[in-house]
Amino acid sequence: MLRSLRGLVCHPRKLDHGYALHTAAKDCLSSLASQDVQALAEGPRAVFYTSENDPANHTEHHEGRHYSIPLEEVKAVFPHGLPPRFQQQIKTFNEACVMVRKPALELFAYLKNSNFAHPAVRYVIYGEKGTGKTMTLCHVVHYCSRQGWLVLHIPDAHLWVKNCKELLQSSYNKDRLDQPLQASFWLKNFKTSNERFLKEIKTQRKYVWGKRDSTEEGKPLGEVVEQGLARVRNASDVVGVVLKEIKQQCQLGSFRLLVAVDGVNALWGRTTLKKEDKSPVSPEELTLVYNLRKMMRNDWSGGAVVTTLSQTGSLFKPRCAYLPQELLGKEGFDALDPFVPILVPNYSAAEFESCYRYYRHCRWLQHPRAHTAEGQEELRFLSGSNPWQLERLAGPL
Amino acid sequence: MAVASGRWVALSRPLLGAAALSSAVPAGEGQPREASTRRRGRTPQFVRSQAPPRTERMAVDQDWTSVYPTAAAFKPASVPLPIRMGYPVKRGVPPPKEGNLELIKIPNFLHLTPPAIKKHCAALKDFCTEWPSALDSDEKCEQHFPIEIETIDYVSAGASIRNPKARVVTLRVKLSNLNLDEHAKKKLIKLVGERYCEDTDILTITTDRCPLRRQNYDYGIHLLTVLYHESWKTEMWESEKSEEDMEEYIWENSRSQKNALDTLLRIKVSENVSNVTEEELLASEVVNDYRNSVIALKNEGETEVNMSRYKESVKKLLNVKA
Repeated sequence: MLRSLRGLVCHPRKLDHGYALHTAAKDCLSSLASQDVQALAEGPRAVFYTSENDPANHTEHHEGRHYSIPLEEVKAVFPHGLPPRFQQQIKTFNEACVMVRKPALELFAYLKNSNFAHPAVRYVIYGEKGTGKTMTLCHVVHYCSRQGWLVLHIPDAHLWVKNCKELLQSSYNKDRLDQPLQASFWLKNFKTSNERFLKEIKTQRKYVWGKRDSTEEGKPLGEVVEQGLARVRNASDVVGVVLKEIKQQCQLGSFRLLVAVDGVNALWGRTTLKKEDKSPVSPEELTLVYNLRKMMRNDWSGGAVVTTLSQTGSLFKPRCAYLPQELLGKEGFDALDPFVPILVPNYSAAEFESCYRYYRHCRWLQHPRAHTAEGQEELRFLSGSNPWQLERLAGPL
Repeated sequence: MAVASGRWVALSRPLLGAAALSSAVPAGEGQPREASTRRRGRTPQFVRSQAPPRTERMAVDQDWTSVYPTAAAFKPASVPLPIRMGYPVKRGVPPPKEGNLELIKIPNFLHLTPPAIKKHCAALKDFCTEWPSALDSDEKCEQHFPIEIETIDYVSAGASIRNPKARVVTLRVKLSNLNLDEHAKKKLIKLVGERYCEDTDILTITTDRCPLRRQNYDYGIHLLTVLYHESWKTEMWESEKSEEDMEEYIWENSRSQKNALDTLLRIKVSENVSNVTEEELLASEVVNDYRNSVIALKNEGETEVNMSRYKESVKKLLNVKA
């Protein structure tokens, strides 16, 4: 029975690599996943897997092990946060397994012991390309959402400074430009992840959107978000209002706020957008960026700001740049200073072993040589223990 | 027969690599037949006997300066080295030196070996004076003669002894030997720009704008004097020096200091500790630590050590505990 299933799985390997393999193998593997997989695992599962699903209870003991997030929670907490390749991996393996690593544990310790009366501390996760910064951020987001914090997750700030088809002049401030599409997309995802809070938080003043639209004082924030989704023209201003309200009310202490921004160096870099007269747009002329920059200041308390630096989507930055000053520039560094920098390194030996075992356990590594010790060493050498490289290498195998 | 063969030699091209005619001709009748067949193949009839190259007769301890007394092209028969040069053939080696145009094209310094230079120096010694015995170390030279002047004389065989390259004069001086204070030194470095080397602290001025060497030398000295005096003066507009003009990062009155003080004041307010003045905060150890780490980060760039220092100092500043 198992052997015939194995034969089934071997065939898709010969078809093609990469993305197509995901879809072709998905059908076979999804049937496999429903089997009793534990009997097929090579070696004890405890080496790479832990059943502790609550990030709050993760300690050094769990370091290097994967824990899985139930798929319904993934849809609720991460409507737009996870890296695209990881989303494909979730679809293929039918489970979302995240590795517990030291930088995330460090952040949990800081967040647990932080004093919420003090101004918000800013944490900047940095590291070379493909070492797991976004995944660390997602781990932290999961932890905070489990703890009941309000999570303001901007999945990639670079998306707001490039490839924008529509730029409207802002009605609120003549010098600024609105981005209705990006704003409404983000509002939709924000609504999915924070339904509960949108009912609880009430507006503290009246907002007038146009001649006929206005939101009274004391209405739940959900109504403001609905307004933004209905009238896409005002979406960017709605985002600004939402950010302002949340920031003000967080200080009162009724909830904790986590501002999680991926690719924060986009806020202080350059944009590729142009105004109608072909002059370049600087980031502060965009309403979304302007309001987000206000959130990044530490003039509020009752939460934390966790950000990631990313070269991957950045504009006009060399590929090898990964240090904070290189990516943030002088302006960004001065704006975020003082922050706590957190380095995410490549996989250590134990973490690599764990990831390799996980791939083998999920039957992702099909090549017979990949199962040998030499194969493992070859993978380690070729990928340089870099998680992104390892994932790309393991794809066609 | 011998006369006939001599005539053939006079008329035809010598053939390399072929045997000598005397050994190739068995009988008289055979010669015209062989000669005609050879000529039909368009090959020259006579072969000049190849003498062995001179390198085989060279002793190991010969006087090389007499082999190459002056600059000359590379002669493979005169250089006893097994040199190969050029692009190698497929799965082969670079071509050998015999008939190698690449070796002939490039300049060689076979005429300037150390024994040759020694001979040149010995010949020039008669035209030189004694080195002063008091200047026996580099430090003493620098102490008594801080400015070094470099000029080059050119000698060549030609119609005229003039060479326009001879007018170039280079002045080198260490800034530590000049009497400059902080402001003057920074201003001088900004004025000269690329001519100053930070690692060796040497200012190099090269002048060639005048037609004569003496004029260039005077101009160089004049430039040095003017730079020195100008750097000591402070103009009115120098007070508008902004952060971008600064050579190194100064923490006082910087954005980083403002941020840190703001944050600390807010922390104190939240703890209901009032009447903490800015001077006290600035004087505290935590802020000092933070200041040093930021200065190191900005001036020296980001290294592992600097980043971890910065992280520790920020953690202490903001009371972030693990």
